[in-house]
Amino acid sequence: MKVLVAVKRVVDYNVKVRVKADGSDVDVANVKMSMNPFDEIAVEEAVRLKEAGKATEIVAVSMGVKQCEETLRTALAMGADRAIHVETDAELQPLAVAKLLKQVAVKEAPQLVILGKQAIDDDANQTGQMTAALLGWAQGTFASKVELGDGSVNVTREVDGGLETVKLSLPAVLTTDLRLNEPRYVKLPNIMAAKKKPLDKTSPADLGVDVTPRLKTLKVAEPAKRSAGVKVANAAELVAKLKNEAKVL
Amino acid sequence: MTYQVPLKDIRFVLSELAELPAVCTLPGYEDCNVELVDAILDEAAKFAEGVLAPINRNGDKGNTWKDYQVTTAEGFADAYHQFRDSGWVGLRAPQDVGGQGLPALVAMATEEMWCSANLSFSLAPLLTLGAIEAIHHHASEDLKATYLPRMASGEWTGTMNLTEPNAGSDLAQVRTKAVDNGDGTYSITGQKIFITWGEHDMADNIVHLVLARLPDAPAGVKGISLFIVPKYLVNADGTLGARNDARCVSIEHKLGIHGSPTAVMSFGDQGGAIGYLVGELNKGLGYMFTMMNHARLGVGVEGMAISERAYQHAVAYARDRVQSRELGSPNPASAAIIKHPDVRRMLMTMRAQIEAQRALAYYTATALDRAATHPHPEEKARNQALVNFLIPIVKGWNTEQANEITSLGVQVHGGMGFIEETGAAQYYRDARITAIYEGTTGIQALDLIGRKLASENGATARAVLAEVKAVAARLADAGPELQAFQAALNIAVDQASSCVDFVLAHFASNPRLPAAGSVPFLKLMGIVLGGWQMARAALAAQAKLAEDGADVDFLTAKLITARFYGEHLLPQVSGLTVAILHGGESVLALDEAAF
Amino acid sequence: MAILVIAEHDNSQIKSGTLNTVTAAQKLGSDVHLLVAGAGCAAAADAAKQIAGVSKVLLADAAALAHPLAENLTPLVVDLAKQYSHVLAPATTFGKNLLPRVAALLDVAQISEITAVESADTFVRPVYAGNVMATVQSSDAIKVITVRTTAFEAAAVSGGAAAVEAVSGAADAGLSSFVSQELTVSDRPELAAAKIVVSGGRALGSAEQFKAVIEPLADKLGAAVGASRAAVDAGYAPNDYQVGQTGKVVAPQLYVAVGISGAIQHLAGMKDSKVIVAINKDEEAPIFQVADYGIVGDLFSVLPELMTELSK
Repeated sequence: MKVLVAVKRVVDYNVKVRVKADGSDVDVANVKMSMNPFDEIAVEEAVRLKEAGKATEIVAVSMGVKQCEETLRTALAMGADRAIHVETDAELQPLAVAKLLKQVAVKEAPQLVILGKQAIDDDANQTGQMTAALLGWAQGTFASKVELGDGSVNVTREVDGGLETVKLSLPAVLTTDLRLNEPRYVKLPNIMAAKKKPLDKTSPADLGVDVTPRLKTLKVAEPAKRSAGVKVANAAELVAKLKNEAKVL
Repeated sequence: MTYQVPLKDIRFVLSELAELPAVCTLPGYEDCNVELVDAILDEAAKFAEGVLAPINRNGDKGNTWKDYQVTTAEGFADAYHQFRDSGWVGLRAPQDVGGQGLPALVAMATEEMWCSANLSFSLAPLLTLGAIEAIHHHASEDLKATYLPRMASGEWTGTMNLTEPNAGSDLAQVRTKAVDNGDGTYSITGQKIFITWGEHDMADNIVHLVLARLPDAPAGVKGISLFIVPKYLVNADGTLGARNDARCVSIEHKLGIHGSPTAVMSFGDQGGAIGYLVGELNKGLGYMFTMMNHARLGVGVEGMAISERAYQHAVAYARDRVQSRELGSPNPASAAIIKHPDVRRMLMTMRAQIEAQRALAYYTATALDRAATHPHPEEKARNQALVNFLIPIVKGWNTEQANEITSLGVQVHGGMGFIEETGAAQYYRDARITAIYEGTTGIQALDLIGRKLASENGATARAVLAEVKAVAARLADAGPELQAFQAALNIAVDQASSCVDFVLAHFASNPRLPAAGSVPFLKLMGIVLGGWQMARAALAAQAKLAEDGADVDFLTAKLITARFYGEHLLPQVSGLTVAILHGGESVLALDEAAF
Repeated sequence: MAILVIAEHDNSQIKSGTLNTVTAAQKLGSDVHLLVAGAGCAAAADAAKQIAGVSKVLLADAAALAHPLAENLTPLVVDLAKQYSHVLAPATTFGKNLLPRVAALLDVAQISEITAVESADTFVRPVYAGNVMATVQSSDAIKVITVRTTAFEAAAVSGGAAAVEAVSGAADAGLSSFVSQELTVSDRPELAAAKIVVSGGRALGSAEQFKAVIEPLADKLGAAVGASRAAVDAGYAPNDYQVGQTGKVVAPQLYVAVGISGAIQHLAGMKDSKVIVAINKDEEAPIFQVADYGIVGDLFSVLPELMTELSK
């Protein structure tokens, strides 16, 4: 069984991004970039499926600028067998990524496509669902447990208020939640070996996909800072403020 | 405060100052390239930040000893198993024993991370590597085949058993006894102290390298042999056999690095520990010295690395802690203390020295790689001389300053720094040992003026100082912001030259005089050579700033830090010069009874 | 054109996020239709028609919709969506699962988790974990949007009198099926991931009082329990409760610090919480410098009052 894993190169989660002075965008020049943490979980899940003898080949795919190669090398070091880089300098929004991923999936014909539930930069939480839609496949989003059956997969999903288990027929798209697994630390010999694994290049044009963005970012801003604290007289006033003003109850 | 690997500075130093691309072209390192190193740095950083740094505080609670066994602090054994399974132990171990055989320069970058994240932990793999080096160079093929693959994989750890209660800096006093059993093994009896990671619960076996003396051996340093004494004997098929008569009879209560057990090792309490001779009889001390260079350089990195951790801790606190209004500001509200000039001075003093030390240490690692593998004999020899000269400076200066820098780290915190829970105090305590083990600063300084300077009549020192002078000349064209730095570096390098002349003039006739100023001399050389590296860094930063997409924030900070170094650290050279040239007699004058 | 809101419900009741989504929809146009798709969900549709501001309820009642499987719901919504300018759902796991699938089949972008409506085509949404707010404009004919429910008021559950119109055509796509669900009951959430944390300090005075005072409040709020270093050291709470520099770092929506003075090491572990409440009898306690809401008073009298208020 072949597994396709999609990985995105994002600003490292430790970096506190800054808004450019003109408010046009966030300033990501020269900041540390890493694999989207949810996608690391996706790679880990695929590797575990392979280690368990359920998957036979893992293909990692990434879309975007040249440096996505580094992200793909990380996926290869984690255990993916080969990589595909859809190289483009264009801004890619989830719909475009889903269209590209669909084309790759059509060519590769995997039984599972696994990717993170969201990327920690745009926080969109869309690509997996869109890919499933375009392929006409089932989707198991926010997965915290994956159990492969014969021609189907049982996915336990983290839903508001608890867990839900659904049975999906294969092929299917899965998106990972935090508790699905804990990604391994990459082994040094595997980093060295990853350099020798195949990494193929393609492009949106090769795949016949128009990636023109549908959303235009007009401006970005930092959220309003916490207002100075107030003292309240009693518990009644506190509860009222928490309900009506802070809206946390 | 979590530790974040200073990847930008590490990459800058590797590529701009330590010539990583050139190192990757040396024979044997062809598999290495900048992209691979980038990936290694990223993953090592994840490991250091995610696994080693979080258990550093646990380590401070110490190990427990019971019935000759040591239980390491919570999380250490698991972390070690992850470290071992990830293959990090063998990064610079030779490929023929299962290591990756990567350059010392690349290894240094990862070792800095391990040391910053968790100094106590880092010593276990570091000692294993030292033992691998000694065995690889000097032991028989049989011994190598038995021990090295499992040490390079991290399955077994290694130790250095040198010190005895009466043999510290002077190993000629070693009394541990080895008796030939006539079957190719030796029976070892005696006691060794200060054995770092001498006993623990993290690995299946511990391979002790033990200095001992045969009954008929010549007196002094020429009668010391080196033995492998494993905790568990190894059967012919490679499985572990009987427990050897080598036991940890207690562990020390220390000022710092509480996470690393410091064992008192007793050999032969029950008749004799079985040992295997490494190389030839009576050459043990020489064998130990083959790995001493690398080990001392490693301790220099420890000093810089613990300083880096203390600096990060102090910066985080200074940003958070709000106290007193900003001097000269119309705003009456209290400000984060990072706005206060003296706090800034302290942080800059820490930062500038750490950056200079990192650059000098990595530069030395490059020389070490060239000395080991350069195809041209002349370059090889030149680099070996450079390594010999630089190592006591890197070891002595980085670790002496680590004491000051981690102390400043405490100071930035004010009263909170004195409270253990804050965390700054641990770095201060942990740093203390670095100026002591692998040769105290006094030993490094004596080594510097004697074996490294006088023995070759200052040839390498003069060559290095000429390079410093040349870089200072290039600073003259580097624009007005670096002129004060340029002037300070020129003055400092001239003063350094006069101190070299002074040492050479007196070492043969009256060695006590330069020896009295040898530590000030070592520090002076550290400051001047650190200034040299900061000058190279400033020139590289200026050049890079002109490029498209330059990391303006980082490069500008580098230039400001270099300037600070020129204005605050280099002027210290003048004071040290006075002490070196004119202060020797007062050191020696006082009657012993008057102390 | 009208606005379509996809209701989240359990076949009998409308879930509260739907009400906030209706409010967001009203900022886009006055004609808001609510789709109630389920199986045996007439009761939910009854509730839906009374929501203020809803002009029409579309009721799709089919066995295939018994559970909100995106594979089965999507064709229905895609079909309906073509008559609307906007399709909205709450940015809950329900809405997030469904709407990207809908958008892809409509060949339009989906706009995630909006916190404000600037105009019919322009919205504000958080990116980078809420550290940056982006204003985005859509060029698509149909805008498919999920709504961050906490950013909009809830529409009133009564006062409306919408007509209910049945829609048909829902079928089982044959791709997925519901197996089981396991809803969290009263177990306290994990400290590091909890949305609400109630922490106690040394002022609790004993392990017994910590248990008697802090834990009921935490259970009332569905919160995790934390403690200051001082309380842990004094043995009032176990080690794994410790919040602070040397303990856990938490950033819940609501952090309630009870009898905690606010040592800097403690603040380091919780200062990124969205809303901080401090209850302490020392008016000068540093915790008040970071608290959004503070009560100066004896915790042993304030907390019982608080329990009473929360029960109202």
